[in-house]
Amino acid sequence: MRSILRWSLTAAILGTALPTAANPLRYAEDQAPGIINPLFTTTMVEARVNELLFDGLYTDNQDLATTPAVIENGQVDPDGMGMILTLRSDVFWHDGTPIQADDVVFSIESMQNDATLSTEAGRVEWISNAVALDERNVRLEFKSPTFHPQDKLFFKLIPKAQFSSTTVSRTHPFRTQPIGTGPYRLESYNDDNSVTFRANSDYRDGVGIGELVLREVADKSYQAKLIQYESLEALVRVMPQDLAELSKSRKIELYPYQTNSWWFMGFNQQKAPFDDPRVRQALSQMVDVENLLAPIGTGEILSGPYVKSSPFYNHDVAPWSNDGYAAATLLEEAGFLRGDDGMWAKDGEPLSFTLTFHQNLETSQKVVINLQSQLRREGVEVLTEALDEAEWKARIWRQRNFDTLLSQWSFDRNEDVYAQFHSRGERNFSGYSNPRVDELLDQARTASDPYDKKAALRQVHALVREDAPMIFLWTLDSYAALSTQIRNVLIHPFYFFTYVGEWQMQ
Amino acid sequence: MADAVAPKAQPSWKVALLLLQPLASFVATMAGALFFVSALLFFSPGNAADVVAQDEQLRQALVEEWGLDGSVFQQYGAYLTRALGGDFGVSLTYRPGTSVAELMAAKAPDTLFLVLTALFLSVTVGTLVAFWSAGRPNSLSRTAIQWLSVPPVFLVAYLGMVGLDAWAYGSTVEKGLTPPPWFPLLMETSPVKTALAVTVLAFASSALTEIHGTAEREIRRIRNSGYVDAARARGAPTWPHTLSNLLPALTTLVSNRAAFFLGGAIVVEKVFGIHGLGDVLWEACRKRDFPLVLGITLLSAGFVCGIRLLADWVRLALDPRQRGGT
Repeated sequence: MRSILRWSLTAAILGTALPTAANPLRYAEDQAPGIINPLFTTTMVEARVNELLFDGLYTDNQDLATTPAVIENGQVDPDGMGMILTLRSDVFWHDGTPIQADDVVFSIESMQNDATLSTEAGRVEWISNAVALDERNVRLEFKSPTFHPQDKLFFKLIPKAQFSSTTVSRTHPFRTQPIGTGPYRLESYNDDNSVTFRANSDYRDGVGIGELVLREVADKSYQAKLIQYESLEALVRVMPQDLAELSKSRKIELYPYQTNSWWFMGFNQQKAPFDDPRVRQALSQMVDVENLLAPIGTGEILSGPYVKSSPFYNHDVAPWSNDGYAAATLLEEAGFLRGDDGMWAKDGEPLSFTLTFHQNLETSQKVVINLQSQLRREGVEVLTEALDEAEWKARIWRQRNFDTLLSQWSFDRNEDVYAQFHSRGERNFSGYSNPRVDELLDQARTASDPYDKKAALRQVHALVREDAPMIFLWTLDSYAALSTQIRNVLIHPFYFFTYVGEWQMQ
Repeated sequence: MADAVAPKAQPSWKVALLLLQPLASFVATMAGALFFVSALLFFSPGNAADVVAQDEQLRQALVEEWGLDGSVFQQYGAYLTRALGGDFGVSLTYRPGTSVAELMAAKAPDTLFLVLTALFLSVTVGTLVAFWSAGRPNSLSRTAIQWLSVPPVFLVAYLGMVGLDAWAYGSTVEKGLTPPPWFPLLMETSPVKTALAVTVLAFASSALTEIHGTAEREIRRIRNSGYVDAARARGAPTWPHTLSNLLPALTTLVSNRAAFFLGGAIVVEKVFGIHGLGDVLWEACRKRDFPLVLGITLLSAGFVCGIRLLADWVRLALDPRQRGGT
């Protein structure tokens, strides 16, 4: 009976099997992009799609050094107050028209226009004026002397002809019919929330793979299953628990890549007892970071706000060691006493706090549970709460209503931590303030000599480690999984698809 | 014998009033549901501007542009006024700029098909089994239906699909053959996946048990009534009497379970990766896309209330007692 069932099922499967068309490269995202317009990017899914469809003035080469994308050359004024950019003559929009200087000016002005409400306005706020000198030459003027402005000219360009004014609405039809100069153009936005991209035949350097399909697969563990089933050709990021299984497959290749992202546990210094640096330092020494990292993957433990490969990472500064005795001494100095129940308390108030984390932060639950257990053993009670995106932004970003939080910061190549650690920084949620750090961050922003910038930021690293506004945890090793059919793969650590034009499919 | 007494006719204005009462209830329920969801969204932490904005200046501007700074009554009133004019607004965060009506029109057919098919299947199977099991104290079919509601069916369905995918992979791809079009189930749109989803929604949980139980009790009551005895004494078949007297109870069941099936569709669509209204509603809530959430609320409430309204009118037509007869 069992055998009859098995053969019937097999016959049914084979009976409905159909020949397949030429293979596209199918990659998975947790969710489909909400909007395809680089003026309104809010998620990494959208940022990766932008990388397929649009170009910036500059991009990263394979060594992650700034290199021209749609321009032939850029000449910076000797005083660093402006530059002239000359566009390439072989760059065309997806509708076949050549890119012009007006398009560059329009892209900048539309981002700067307050009425546009662009989420990318910060990328061009340092530019005071943009003027088209002729069809191929643009002059940019800066608000202050800018060292190596090319590093900031990665924002994506959009065609002026598609819009009636620099006030661009989020509802503009461009969001579903985008036109860029990138290696792919949008073919269709499908009913099953997948998005199909077709190679741009006019692309200046040629494109190796004819079709890309973004598939929405919310369940991350199912994403790994799908690539094993050969129903996907690429996963942007493999979950640590799936690495072992995928590495066994002869049809899948894992590509490690380093992201400019690091995890941390932040303290709200506007609240007692975290306004006392001794308490923060004590908690830093109660946590066994290696033990926290082990269950969720591999990575590098950090002592400050940069990844170890960063030029700004201060290798002379060690992470806080896991030292219960030193932690106890610091807590006693701060007025805490350990009770008979083993819990720390001050003036009858137990040392207890809530650890808030973002529910979308992968594997964070494991870290939270482990952290809770570690600190309980040390005599500290930790409650936990998970927030969704809207609640996170409202509670943490806006109201700054939290005790401690577990989160991750991701940076582009500029690795600018001003927003996180300057007392006026917009993302300085924990209320950290150190005048010397402010001074160094200001210096780094205006430094014309890269060595001065490096020295200033390394000092910042040392200072914030000592002040312990947060426990710096780790940068995780990231792996992409691609079918072995895909060759010549090179992955950008932040935008992923920067070099996709060179990928080939066998 | 009360069954044999002809119902007393009611004046036509009273019948008209009886027909209009459900309509008034329809409007009140729609307005109430919309206000309830508006209030829930209003008091939920965070809003659509929080989801989008990376800085306070942009957040403030978006709050103003999207009218999120008004009170819950102002926001509700503004939306209701627009909706009454046929304007359901545009999505703010799920598909920014796309009209809510367009999004709902694209997704509603899949969800309605799922819900209506499952509802029909559940009521038909539950009633047929009830006809069989009524009066049979140790009926196996009754036990089977009761057992069916015990296991976590959504989980079983998910695991079943993963197993089916593994089987299909081993039978085709691994052997160098082309896989069937429904492989893998969670990703591809196919009749196989839809059929599985309908089956799970129809037979999972307590819905089938409740429909079967209610129908069985009603059938027993009808079979014990005088008019069925009379038919039996005449040697006439009893099932036409049973069925016609069962219809008002079935109508009530369908109208009561419609909301349950609509709610279940959200879970089923998530489990089976079906991109219907439930899936959109889930994402819209996460992203605080209030025009989209309210639009889907109106549509869902309209669907449920519409079915109830229809059921009320059908009952009035079928059952003279409900028209005030004695």
